[in-house]
Amino acid sequence: MLPVIGAILVGALIYTVVVSIVPIFWADLVLFLRADLGIAATIFNAILLFGFAGSIMFSATTVGNSARMEYLLVMPMRMRIIFLEKTIVIILYNCVLWMVIGFPILLGLGTISTYPLALLAAPIFLVLVFMLVTMGVSIGGLVGLLFSRLLAGRRTLKQIGYFILSTLAIVVSVFWYYSFYFSDNGTVFFDAIFRIADMVGLSSHLSPGYTVSAISIGLVVGAPFGIPDIVAAILFLIIGISLVYANSYVCEIAHYSGWLASGSQRTSKSEFRINHTSWNPRTYLPFTFNTTTSTSIWYNIASIRREGRVIAQYLVGPIRWVIWIVLPGLYMADQMAAFTPYLFVAALIPFATSYGLSFAGYELVYEGKNLMNLQLASANLVDYVKGKVLSATPFVLGASSVVSIMILILYTSMWPLLPAVILGCVFANLVAGSVAANAAAMGGDFRAERKITRQRGAAVQMPIRGWSMLRATLMPNIVAYVGVFSILGVGALNPLYAYVALSAFALICYRLFLSYSRSAGRRLSQIEASEYL
Amino acid sequence: MIEAIKLTKVFSKFTAVKDLSFQVQPGEIYALLGPNGSGKSTTMRMLLGLLRPTLGTARIMEYNITSNPEDAKRVMGYVPEEPVLPERLTGYEFINYTADIWRIPRGEKREKEITELLTLLDIEDASNDLIEVYSKGMSRKISLAAALIHRPRVIILDEVQAGIDPRGAATIKEIMTGLASQGATILMSTHVLEIAEQMCDRIGIINEGQMIAEGTMDELRAQARGQSSLEEIFLTLTGGPDMQRIADYLGEVT
Repeated sequence: MLPVIGAILVGALIYTVVVSIVPIFWADLVLFLRADLGIAATIFNAILLFGFAGSIMFSATTVGNSARMEYLLVMPMRMRIIFLEKTIVIILYNCVLWMVIGFPILLGLGTISTYPLALLAAPIFLVLVFMLVTMGVSIGGLVGLLFSRLLAGRRTLKQIGYFILSTLAIVVSVFWYYSFYFSDNGTVFFDAIFRIADMVGLSSHLSPGYTVSAISIGLVVGAPFGIPDIVAAILFLIIGISLVYANSYVCEIAHYSGWLASGSQRTSKSEFRINHTSWNPRTYLPFTFNTTTSTSIWYNIASIRREGRVIAQYLVGPIRWVIWIVLPGLYMADQMAAFTPYLFVAALIPFATSYGLSFAGYELVYEGKNLMNLQLASANLVDYVKGKVLSATPFVLGASSVVSIMILILYTSMWPLLPAVILGCVFANLVAGSVAANAAAMGGDFRAERKITRQRGAAVQMPIRGWSMLRATLMPNIVAYVGVFSILGVGALNPLYAYVALSAFALICYRLFLSYSRSAGRRLSQIEASEYL
Repeated sequence: MIEAIKLTKVFSKFTAVKDLSFQVQPGEIYALLGPNGSGKSTTMRMLLGLLRPTLGTARIMEYNITSNPEDAKRVMGYVPEEPVLPERLTGYEFINYTADIWRIPRGEKREKEITELLTLLDIEDASNDLIEVYSKGMSRKISLAAALIHRPRVIILDEVQAGIDPRGAATIKEIMTGLASQGATILMSTHVLEIAEQMCDRIGIINEGQMIAEGTMDELRAQARGQSSLEEIFLTLTGGPDMQRIADYLGEVT
C-alpha cells in the first residue's frame, strides 16, 4: 500500500508543479511544441529501449527457472498463458515509473490547455506507454530466448554469451542516453549508430516514440496529428500485443524442449554431463583475513561469476550513471577541456560505489535462506559482511587503475595524484559496501530470489526496499565525491597534500567500514528465520 | 541434552506453540510428531535459535539458546525440511564452505572426513555437479553431510528421510542410531510413523502447539487406551479422519 500512496503523492506533486509553473510560459510552450510534435520522440523511444535492455534475459530466465513454478504449470491451462502472465507482470513494473511521471505531466498540461481534447492526452499516454514497454520487453525476451537457444548445451559459452549480451544491452542503452544530448545534431560522435537507428526506424517518424510524442503532445497543444499517426499507433499496439504473445509462445516451446531447464547441459536433442572442477582459491590480495572473511569473499565471487548476466550488470551497469556525468563535459568539450581529467575521476566514483552496493548490499540479500546456515554455524557475521565488502575491492582496483591509465595518457602531469585517486576509490568502496550491507540488513527482501521481479539481474525491482535503498546509494556517493575531490583539490596545491588528505580520508572510510559492517553483522545475526525462510 | 521449558511462540495474533516442555537426553533419539501446522518446525526453530521464543526457555546442553546462542549453536547440527543450499556451488564446494564457516581447520583430516561423508551418503559421484541440478533426495543428503561435518553433539532433523530412496533412508537410520549410541542427542520430526516407532526411544505428540502425549511406545499405548500401533495412537490422540465427510465425498463422486 505504501508504494501506491507514494506514487500518488509524487504524481500529485508533479501535477501541482506543472499547473503552477507552466501557465507562465504556456503560450511560448505551445508554439514550441507545435513546431515539432516529435520533440519527445527520443525520450519515448528510450522508454522502449529501457524495457528492452532491462528484460533481455527475462524470458530465458523464467523458462529456465520453471521448476519453481511447477504448481502453476500443472494447472489446466495452456502453458503460454502462464508465461504471458509473467511477462505482463514485468511489463507493468517497467511501466510504473513512466506512468507515475508522465501521466501527471500530461494531465497538468491538459488542465492548462484550452484545446477541447487536451484532457484525453493523459489517459491515451497510459495506453501508449504500455505499448512502448510491451514492445521493448517482448523484443528483449525474444532476443534472449534466441540467444539461449543458440548457446544451449554450451555452458561456458552460455556464461560468456550472457555476459556479452547483457553488456551490449547496457552499452547500447548508454549510447541512446547519449543521443539525448545530441538529438539535433548528434551525428558527430556516433554517425554509424545513428545511421543504424535510422535504418531500423528508431529516430524516424515511423518510430513508436515519435507516434507517442505526436499523439500525446498533439492533443495537448491542439496540433493536428495525421491519420498516419493514428494508424501507426494502432499498428504498434497490434505489433506489441503480437510480440508479447509470440514471446509467451516461444517460452512454451522452450519449456517443452527442455533446453533451458535450470542448470541444464542439454540441447533439445541430447544431454551430456559436465563436471565442475572446484574453484576454491583463498587468496585475492596480499592481505590475510580470518577464515570467515576469506570464505565470504570466495563465496561471493564464486556465486556471482557463475551468472554471466549478473556480473555484466554489476560491472557494466554503473555506466548508466557515469554517462550522465561524462556527457555534459563532452557536450561542452571546448569550455571544459581543463576539467576533463576530473570528469574521468567523477565518472570513476559511481563504479566504486556501485560495486560496493552490488557485491555487499545485493549479494547479502541474495544469501536468502543461506542466512540460516550462517546463523546456525554461529559464524561471526560481522566478519562475513566484511568479506562481502572486500570481495568488490579487486574490481574497484581494476576499474580505477584502468581509468587512471587513461588519465595518465591524456594528462601526464597528473601522475603524482593518480595513486591517491585509486586508493581513494578503494576506500570509498569500503564505505559503499558496508553502508549497503547495513541497509540490506535493515531493509533487504531476503526472499528476493523467489520473486521474479527481484531475482539476481532483474532490472525492475531492487532487492533492498524503500528508504534503505536510498540510504545504500546516497551516503556512499556523497562520501566518495567529497573525499576524492578533496584529495584532488588539496593535491592541486601540492601533491604531497593529497596524500595527507588521503590518509585522513582512508582513516574516516576505514572507521565507517568497521562501524557499518559491525552494525550489519549484528542485525543479520538477530534476524528471525521468518524473514528469510 | 535438549531442554524446552514452557516454550511459547506468538506470530502477530496466532499462537503457533504454547507452553511446550520436553527434554531429550544424551544418547536418546526423540521424535516430535504432530499434524501439519501443529508447531513442530516452529519448535525446532526456537530450539535452534532461529526464532526467539515469545515466552519460555530453550537449552542446548547447558547453554540457553537465547542468552548464549553462539555456544549453543556450536554443538548443534540441523537438517531442515527444505534443504538450504546455494545453487551456484557444487556439492563439494558447499561442504567445504560449510566446514570453513564452522571453522574446521583445512587439511588432510578434513578432506578425508568430507570424502567419507559423501561416500557414505552415496553422493560422491555428484559432488562436482552444481547443486542446482540435484534431485530433492540428493539435496537432502548433501544437507545432512553439511550438518554432520563438524561432528555435532546435538542433531535436529526435520523430515530428513522424506524424498530419499530406501537405501539412503536405511543409511541415515544407521548413522543416527550409531551417533546416538556414541552419546549424541537427536531430535527429529517425521510424518512416517513407522520410522519414529522403529528408531526413536521416546516420542512427543503435539497438536495445535501443545504437547498432548509423550513417552516411550509403551507409555503412549497406555495413554491411548491400549491402541497397539503408533498410527492408531496418533490418530486417537490427534483425531482421525472425518469418516462422515469422506463417505459424503465418495458418495458425490460415485
